[in-house]
Order: sequence, then C-alpha cells, then structure tokens
Amino acid sequence: MTTCKECKSFFPLENDQTKGDCVQRVKDPRQAYYQSRPAKADDDAGACGSFQKKQKT
Amino acid sequence: MAQAALKDTSVKEFEKKQEWWWAAEKKRSKRLDYLRKAIWKKGAIGGLYAPGVKVDLERAQLHTQKAKEMEMSPDAYVIKFAKMFAHILDNKTIFITDHAQLVGYTGSLPHTMGWDPSAASILNEEAFNDPTAIPDPVDVNQKVIREINNYWIGKTDLDKMMPVFDMEDLMKMLSGSIGWGVPLARGGYSSKDYEYIMTGKRAFAAIIDELDRKIDEVDEEVHQPGANAEISKAYDKLNNWDAMKITLEAGIRIAKRYARLARIIAENFEEDPKRKEELLKIAQTCERVPAHPPRNLQESFQYDIFIQMMSRTEAIEGAWPSRPDYYHGPYYDKDVNIDKTLTREEALDLVGEFIIRAAEVCQFKPKWTREGLQGIDGTWVWTIGGVDRNGKDACNDLTVALMQAARLVRVANPTLSFRWHPKVKDEVMREIFECNRQGLGYPNMRNDPILVANTMHWYGHPIEEARLWANQACLSPCPTTKHGFQPMRMANATANCAKIIEYVFTSGFDPVVNMQVGAETPDVATFKNFEEFFAAWTLQMQTIFSILVRAVNRARTLAPTMTPRPFLSGVSERSIESGLDTLDPSIERGNSWITAFTWVENVDSLAAVKKLVFEDKKYTLAQLKEALAKNWEGLEEMRLDFVKNAPKWGNDDDYVDDIMLRCLDEAAKFSKVLKDPSGNNWPILPENVSGNIHYANIVGALPNGRRLGDALYDGGISPGPGLDKKGPTAVLKSCGKIDHITGGRAFLLNQRLSPTQLAGEKGYQLWSSYIRTWADLGIDHIQFNMVDDATLRSAQKDPEKYQEVIVRVAGYSAHFVDVSRKTQDNIIQRTVQGLG
Ligand code: SF4
Repeated sequence: MTTCKECKSFFPLENDQTKGDCVQRVKDPRQAYYQSRPAKADDDAGACGSFQKKQKT
Repeated sequence: MAQAALKDTSVKEFEKKQEWWWAAEKKRSKRLDYLRKAIWKKGAIGGLYAPGVKVDLERAQLHTQKAKEMEMSPDAYVIKFAKMFAHILDNKTIFITDHAQLVGYTGSLPHTMGWDPSAASILNEEAFNDPTAIPDPVDVNQKVIREINNYWIGKTDLDKMMPVFDMEDLMKMLSGSIGWGVPLARGGYSSKDYEYIMTGKRAFAAIIDELDRKIDEVDEEVHQPGANAEISKAYDKLNNWDAMKITLEAGIRIAKRYARLARIIAENFEEDPKRKEELLKIAQTCERVPAHPPRNLQESFQYDIFIQMMSRTEAIEGAWPSRPDYYHGPYYDKDVNIDKTLTREEALDLVGEFIIRAAEVCQFKPKWTREGLQGIDGTWVWTIGGVDRNGKDACNDLTVALMQAARLVRVANPTLSFRWHPKVKDEVMREIFECNRQGLGYPNMRNDPILVANTMHWYGHPIEEARLWANQACLSPCPTTKHGFQPMRMANATANCAKIIEYVFTSGFDPVVNMQVGAETPDVATFKNFEEFFAAWTLQMQTIFSILVRAVNRARTLAPTMTPRPFLSGVSERSIESGLDTLDPSIERGNSWITAFTWVENVDSLAAVKKLVFEDKKYTLAQLKEALAKNWEGLEEMRLDFVKNAPKWGNDDDYVDDIMLRCLDEAAKFSKVLKDPSGNNWPILPENVSGNIHYANIVGALPNGRRLGDALYDGGISPGPGLDKKGPTAVLKSCGKIDHITGGRAFLLNQRLSPTQLAGEKGYQLWSSYIRTWADLGIDHIQFNMVDDATLRSAQKDPEKYQEVIVRVAGYSAHFVDVSRKTQDNIIQRTVQGLG
C-alpha cells in the first residue's frame, strides 16, 4: 500500500514521525496559498489524487 | 477597468472624478493590492451568496465526528463541547496566503464559510437547501450535509432549547413578523473582556497556569471531610475550568500549526529571501501568541485575529465588538515611534492587512439574516477614538493609521465608528472627514460624552468602565470590562416596530402570518380620542417587546448549562475567578437592549391619525382601518392626504416631534419594567440595518401613507426618505429634541451629503460646523453617504464598472452593487442635504 509518508506533500513532525502535515500549494480564482492539514505517515495514499512520489535524497 | 487605462490615469485624475476606488488601487502597496483582491466577498448579494463561495463542510464533519465519538463518554456537556472545539482546531485545514503577514481564518479555505452544525437544525436545513452554496459535486455533498443534519436533529442548541421556551412566544417570534433571529446564546454579538486579555498583562499560558491553581485548590477542598451546597457547586466549577483549559490549550496548538506551516513553506518552497524572512516572522509570531502576550504590532494583531477566530469557532458571531486603536495602539507606537522597527509604510501594510483579515471572515447564515444584512456577513463595527478610563483623549497614531488604511483597502466590512469628544484634535477630524468624503460611509460619529452618560444611566456601569466602551454591534456601547462586557446579545431582541401601529388597526392580529401576535386591543373604530388610540399603541408596543425579551431572558438563563462558551469564558476574568460560564447572568452587570427596527413609521403614523382623524376630522378611524386593510387600493387621493398633509418627523415641527418624544418616553418607562437576567434594564435602540427592505413585504399598509411592499424608512430616527423638506439643520433640531441619554440606548441617524459641495477646505469647514451643531444638540450618532446620485445611477446601469462603490446602508456599509435594487433605490431616494 502506498502511504502518505512516501508523498512529497507529507511533512512529518520532528518528535513523532508517524504524524505530520499534508502541505499543498493551491491557486484558486482569487489567491494563491499553501494549505496544511494533519495526516498520518501510514495513511493510505492510494485513493489520493494529489499523491506525488517523494524524491529520494 | 482595463489595466492600461488604470496605468495611464493618474491618482489625481481619479480623485478629481471622485473615483476613489481606482485612486486607492493605484496608491496602495503591491502587497495590499494583492491581499485586497484576494478576498472572497462573502456578504450575500440580495440574499444569495456570491458564486464560488461555499459552505465549509470540513468543520461540520469534524464537529459531527467528535460529537458521535463522545456520545457515550461520561464527560459533562461543557467538557464535551470543549473537546469538540479542540478537535476542530486540531484538525481543520489551515492556509497561508501569498504575501500575507497575518494568518487565521474561520473556515478551512479562503472561499469557505464556517458552518456550525450544532447551532440550529433550521440553519442546517438552509445549508442543505442552498445548492449555490454547496461545494461541488453538489449531489454528493448534499448527501454529506443530509447525514450531518440527520445526526444533529434534536441535538442542536435551538432544538434542545425549543421545548423549554414558552411555545406561544416562540411561535410568534419565529413567525418572522415581529422579531428577527433566534434566542441562542451561541449566535449573536459577543463583547469581550479586552481589559483582561488585550492589555499585555497576560495571555493563554498565564491563564492556564491560573486555571491549574484554581482547579488544584478547589479539587483539594471538595475532597476534605464535609459536605455542603458550595461543594456541590464546586463540581460544576471544576468542569467549567477544565473546559476553559481545554479550549485555551487547543488555541495555543493551532497557532503552533500555523507556525509550523510558515516554516515548512520558508524551508521547502519559498525562494524569495524577503518572503522567507516574512514567513519566519509569521512562525515566530505564532509561536509567541496567543500563548504569551504580544511584544510588537504584528504579534498584537495576530493575537487578536486568533482570539476572534477561536471565538467564531465556538459561536456564530454576527458582530465584531472591538477597539483596535486603543488596544493595539501602544504596539504601533512602540514599533513605529520608539523602537523604529517598522516604517510608517510597513505599519500601514500591517494595518491594512488586519482590516482585510476581518473583511474575509464569514459564517454561514440563514436567509433572513442575509436579507437583513445585505452585502455583509455581520456588522463588524470597530470602535476608534474616545477616551481612556480617566477621561483623557485616547486617539493615537493607530487611530489615524486605521483610517488611512481603510481608504486604501476600501472594504465595506469592517467599518469604523468614531467616538467623538470635544478634545479630539483637528488632524484626526480631518481623517474622519476624508474617509467619508471618499465615499466609505464611515467612520460614523458617536457622541462620546453623551454615550458614556447613557451607558451609566441605563445600566449603572461605573464611569471608568463606561469610558471603555466599544460598539457591541452597530451602535450599542458596551464596556470591555470584567463585569461590564456582555458575552452575548441575541439578535432576536430586535423588534419590527412598524407592527406596533399596524396591530392597533388589526387588534393584534397579523394578517401576513395569519395569527394573533399582538395584544387583543379593542376595535380601532371604537376609539373616541387620540388618548384611547395612543393607549392601544402603548399596549401593542409593550406586548411585542415583552415577547422578544422573555425569549432572550430564558435563553440567557439556560445558557450556562445548555449552551456554554468555555473559550469565551477562558478569556474572561470573571469566569476564571468564579468558575462560572461567562454567560452566567449572575456575574454580569447587564447591557441588554431592544433593537427597534422600523420605529419612525409609528411616529409619522400617529401624527397623521391625530391630525387627519381626530383634529381635522377628515376621515374616521373606521375609514382608515378599511383603507389600510385594502392597502389603499382605489384610495390614492386619501393616501396622498396622509403622505402630504400630515406632519412628518425631521422637519423641526413640534407637532410630530412631540409624538416622537412621547413614544420614546413610553418605551423608556417600559424599558425599566423589563429586566434582563442580571436584573438590569432593556432600553430601546432605534436602527434598521437593512431590515427596512426585509420587512417591506411583511408590514402592511400604514397611516403614514405607506403601502404593503414599499420600503420602510431607512434609519432609527432618520426621517422618511424625501420627507425631510426643511434642510439638514431642521433634521438635527428634530433629532436634538430627543434626550439621547435617557430616551433610549442609541439612535441611528443617516444623512446624505453632497460630495461636490464638500470638496476642499471649504467643504471640511462646512462639515466641521455641521458636526459642531450635531454635538451641541447632544445627538448620539450620525453617519453619512457622500456619493452622488449620478454615480449611484451609473452603478445601477453598469454594475461591472462600479463594483467598488461603497454606500452606508444603515449601521453598516456595503458595496452598492451587492444590495438589492430596492435598497439601492431607497438609498438614492434619501434627501441629499446641502450644508451652509
Ligand atoms: S493526503 Fe495525499 S497529498 Fe497529502 S500527503 Fe497523503 S498522499 Fe500526499
């Protein structure tokens, strides 16, 4: 199963890598912004249309 | 306007043409321009939300999810409620807009409107039934809403409260004929204890420490050998304190989420070093506040925004009581004048953005509210100027900066309300004039010495507290102090007063809603003299006011247990100290008022009856009763007699002005009979928002010559549009006959002035002397429209070109194109007063 932790948008918490935030760039008709909502590292990314594979560093 | 044309035209040329909105666009910084245009306009346009603005399902889902999860939990309701609040803050989507320096929004995304599903099923059904506001895909999300609504049926605040109200009163009120809104303690106007929370002495972390001390102390006490009534009460206090703590801790956590997001953007996405620096500043700011008191202007504004966001997560707030120059002014002074860490331009950017952050706020509202508040989400009337607790002039550099920023961002909401007093400096007066001359319709003018005395007269607030007042909604002063602030003023104590005179003719039967609403006074045709007629009027007035007040009193009495507000309590000294919910009437001095919509119709109608029926004997009451029942149909000549040949308020005519005074006197006497749950009075406050249009089809024909469907008069004590024929001084003289201290709570007066006449220094001098007359007459309020007919008519013809024209509607401003045609016409109809 592909999970959020493999996604470019996932930013884990420093003190607890199992939790983090899904941070995305959005442009709506009036403004551009970054949005963030809580995500878990092991959340299923299979059904997420915004999944982008994280580049290995 | 095409970009090329905007570029080629100079600021001066735009100003000369009085196209202030284009001038502002050219003058403001790039950042402010971006942020101003980034606002999703949330005020309903003629009752409907603008395309693209959607109900926030996320919050409703989070709220519902947590409520379901805790159904079987043994927690007290207040704790459960606090946990729902925390769950929303911990899990909602947050965002940071490009170029922004301040963060925090009520909804999850910029185009969303916060929707609280726990308030009222009738509101939830409106969400379900408004496909224009449901996010795409509508069919799928309508099902989501259905599920949410089904869960909350019987569990919302209003659903729970309904069975414990008097059903007859409730039905009369909900009929929509005499009142406006519902009696909910989590839906209305919340003043705040700014003296506790906004003076830099403490913030959330210190309050949490204080709560811990209280909890430990009382927890220890209740477990000592012994038993008594105090111990029983202590359990509730412990729950309240725990709940407050849960909400404040959640408040600190969400700020940290914003800090983290700002750092993530700075470190992973942003390439511009200047913006990176700004993002890191946002991060530092949100790590500091609301946990700790602010140290600079940005932190101070941010702290305020967070408090407002949290309070609006807890309740549906329809107003924004605040005093921004008073509480943020010291930080402005420190940053700009003392430490010089901000230039004036940088500070102006922050002030402008602070206004914008408020302008974008919206919570989903029912249609009747949207219709009554056309073009805006709520009355965000920010109070500026005034005096400090010792009576010294409180104006500061931020007072001026707020007005300058308002002219640059030109939003219709928030508006500014200026507390005028004799010590205000000329430079400040010029800024007020300039905002009005540039067509903002604000600041309105409030007569501070009169209103301080009024606040003391009606409620007994001590003078030092009365001096700290801020508008609780459009017009009603409320101290921002421990016992003075009113945590909730429910909008349903808003009386559609034109019904008073209407019911005299129908013996209290309402033909629109087809039910007996008013008192069953005798058949009007049997009254032999004006005194009998006036006695029936008085009884109808007392009956309507009582129905509305009883419901509010009931809701406020039950609120601490049924609809508590742990967050608002957590930022209120009296709750921290007592362990009681801030809605508990026993710890509030009381600051209730009845908003009197459509008041002046009574005065003109009574004058017409007195003159044409009882004195001239041209018509009998039976004839008049029949004419009104027929909506004057086939009786145009008679109707015009009532319009033209009866004295009208606003012309310095004692005949009708004395009737105004008599009506107010009756209301004032009864205001002291009515008591709120704190034991204090219920004075009336004549004003209208856009209720004069909302009620046009609800109020029947009236003896002032009005027909069913005609717009009602626009202001609390404004003369009927076009009926003030003797000029501006006569209007002021009529209004000045009212005792603005003892006659009622406050009185809204709309005036239209000519922008051409008021151009230049001569214009300022004319306006200044007009204001001096206004102040000398002891009138508590005045506001201006200074947009000429030609511009307004052009805006009606070509709305696209005039999107940014702002007008004063009633206690608030709105973009002209966002109000209904009927309201637009009503504004144009108002007499343009020539001064001098
Ligand atoms: S929710 Fe989607 S976009 Fe967000 S981190 Fe998970 S997979 Fe990525």
